[in-house]
Amino acid sequence: MSAAIDNHWYPVAMISGIDAPRETLLLGKKIKLGREDGICWVKDASGTPLPTVERFGHLWTSPGQPNRDLFTIPEADSPGRRLVDVGSVKVKCSPLRAVENFLDIAHFPFVHTDILGAEPHTEVDRYDVKIREEVDEVWATKVKFFQPQAAKSAAGGITTEYMYRVPAPTCSVLYKTCPPRPGEWDIITLFVQPLTDEWCEVWPWMALYDDDSTMSEMVSFQQLIFMQDRSILENQLPRKLPLDPGMEVPTQADMTSVAYRRWLKKIGYTYGAQLVAA
Amino acid sequence: MNWIAVGLAKDVPPGVVIPSRIEDTEMAIWCTPSGRYHAWSDRCPHRGMRLSHGFVRGETLACIYHGWQYNQTGSCDYIPAHPKLTPPDTICVPTYTCVEEGGVIWVSLNSVDDPLPVLGARVPVRSVPVSLSAKDVAAHFGAAGFTTIAVVSDYDTLLAVQPCTDTMCVLHVLAAPDADRKEVSRWVEDLRTTLEGVPA
Amino acid sequence: MILYDYVLSARCYKVRLMAALLGAPLTLQAVNFHPGREHKSPEMLVLNPNGTLPILKDGDTVLTDSADILRHLTSDHPEWRSADDDTWLAFASNLNDSLGLARLHDVIGYAADIDTARTAGVTALRKLEAHLTEQRFDDLIFLTGKAPTIADIACFPNTALAPDGGVSLDPYPSVRLWMRAIRSLPGFIEMPGIHRLHELAHPA
Repeated sequence: MSAAIDNHWYPVAMISGIDAPRETLLLGKKIKLGREDGICWVKDASGTPLPTVERFGHLWTSPGQPNRDLFTIPEADSPGRRLVDVGSVKVKCSPLRAVENFLDIAHFPFVHTDILGAEPHTEVDRYDVKIREEVDEVWATKVKFFQPQAAKSAAGGITTEYMYRVPAPTCSVLYKTCPPRPGEWDIITLFVQPLTDEWCEVWPWMALYDDDSTMSEMVSFQQLIFMQDRSILENQLPRKLPLDPGMEVPTQADMTSVAYRRWLKKIGYTYGAQLVAA
Repeated sequence: MNWIAVGLAKDVPPGVVIPSRIEDTEMAIWCTPSGRYHAWSDRCPHRGMRLSHGFVRGETLACIYHGWQYNQTGSCDYIPAHPKLTPPDTICVPTYTCVEEGGVIWVSLNSVDDPLPVLGARVPVRSVPVSLSAKDVAAHFGAAGFTTIAVVSDYDTLLAVQPCTDTMCVLHVLAAPDADRKEVSRWVEDLRTTLEGVPA
Repeated sequence: MILYDYVLSARCYKVRLMAALLGAPLTLQAVNFHPGREHKSPEMLVLNPNGTLPILKDGDTVLTDSADILRHLTSDHPEWRSADDDTWLAFASNLNDSLGLARLHDVIGYAADIDTARTAGVTALRKLEAHLTEQRFDDLIFLTGKAPTIADIACFPNTALAPDGGVSLDPYPSVRLWMRAIRSLPGFIEMPGIHRLHELAHPA
């Protein structure tokens, strides 16, 4: 595997869920992880320790030599937010397909019907997309969409504003209108562990302002949303994400995914990608 | 290979879409509300989603992922994210030759003009998946090909065999019009057990 | 009535669906089954020592078996009952132990002999397909007759969710038409993995 793929940080466990040592897969290779005296560890198949970071409630590791720290989400540290460990779901699809779906809003009326979208409110207005060279991240801003029930804390339909950020090839952070606190953003993330190039474990995590919902309700809401996506993700052909134009047809609503694919190609991130039209 | 049975008309009533396949060609088979059958590539050109998971609305087939609608020629004529846009002609789904005859939906992947298989007076009973290749099923009956195989039984049965994978095919079973369909259904269950070599 | 509910549980969905079809009001109490294992918490074990979901609390009555709950919900609705229900409620339990187990394995990593679970699931689906095909010969679309009963509601969730556990529903036309008939019922509600029939929507 190339450094362009190995030298990233990947989520491999929810810290609160680590008890006995266990095995998992990362980029098709077996790794072992556990916790001793409160410190999490990860080893490769030969027993060599791998670097670790504990952040956002999850344990992160890398099979290579990451040349920069794991990204941060400074807004998540502000007081009053509730940090939600959503747990993981396994999906038979490319990790890149899972991230791309997370960046997409046009599917809301059909896949998350009456929750994140509903007919006839299907139109996607133009928004801004940029590869921010200085931080090497993809950003989409001024994304707006009408949502019948934008969050567990939303009382009725509202036009929600979104910002999407791709700070690492298999991770995305969504900043979203916060129903109880106009002017603040709720933070919803999708951290994807590539088990193989066509199989992933998805770890959503959230930092929300919500004083009313129980933790179980917030977990349920996000699991419901992601499981609605899962049946889509397992039925896309090919399972890998085509990076070359021609195989799939984007429209203006897909500007974020176009930028994401272009960025993956630029940084040489080809794990889970299909480069030549089959 | 010319005509292959991919389903029974009664299993795909108007307004319904189902997945089907002939070897490596995966298809969405659907019937318009006005009763026309179509066999399309099972892949939305937008993001690769299987169209067989979609829905029939009016005389169009729509993808479940983003609701893109395709008219009967396979061309996209509506994109919900851009309701005012007329989609370019280049957005279209590959289509295959598909006809309904004798209650069976037939597809030809190479658009040949061969006549359809002769069914006689037989009527469709049911479709049954078998965990064997079509070739293995044909070999079992000593048949040269597998498009249709007449099988001696009390019901004048005919099998239209649909090759799917190396380990799966579907038998579309036809029988004499006066045959008891429940008996035929149980007969084919027994036949499958024999073919698969699993002790009953 | 309070349902202690897990949003991804096929068994909890049976209860939510039955109540929705009856128009019976249900208060949902979300339980963090995964990853929280809240169903094994001391508070929940007081309510149900078996540590399972769903749990239905109706006044002083507490029910923890989904078949019992379906019977309870329809106790005043003879139109939702048939003499053959018990057979199918037992069959629904097989579906849960095969297709349901395969799904939990594939989705949230439950320990399971996955090949055995899937093989048993296929055997069950073939039985279901054979029965529903014979029903259709008599112009009956549901498991026990012309109208749906608790038999259908009990068997529907784990069947419809089979693909979540890597078991294809492609080769079962009668099962597919039966599921479509259930999804078309007035008051039908979906769960993640079971899409609604968008063809029924008529947008402006």
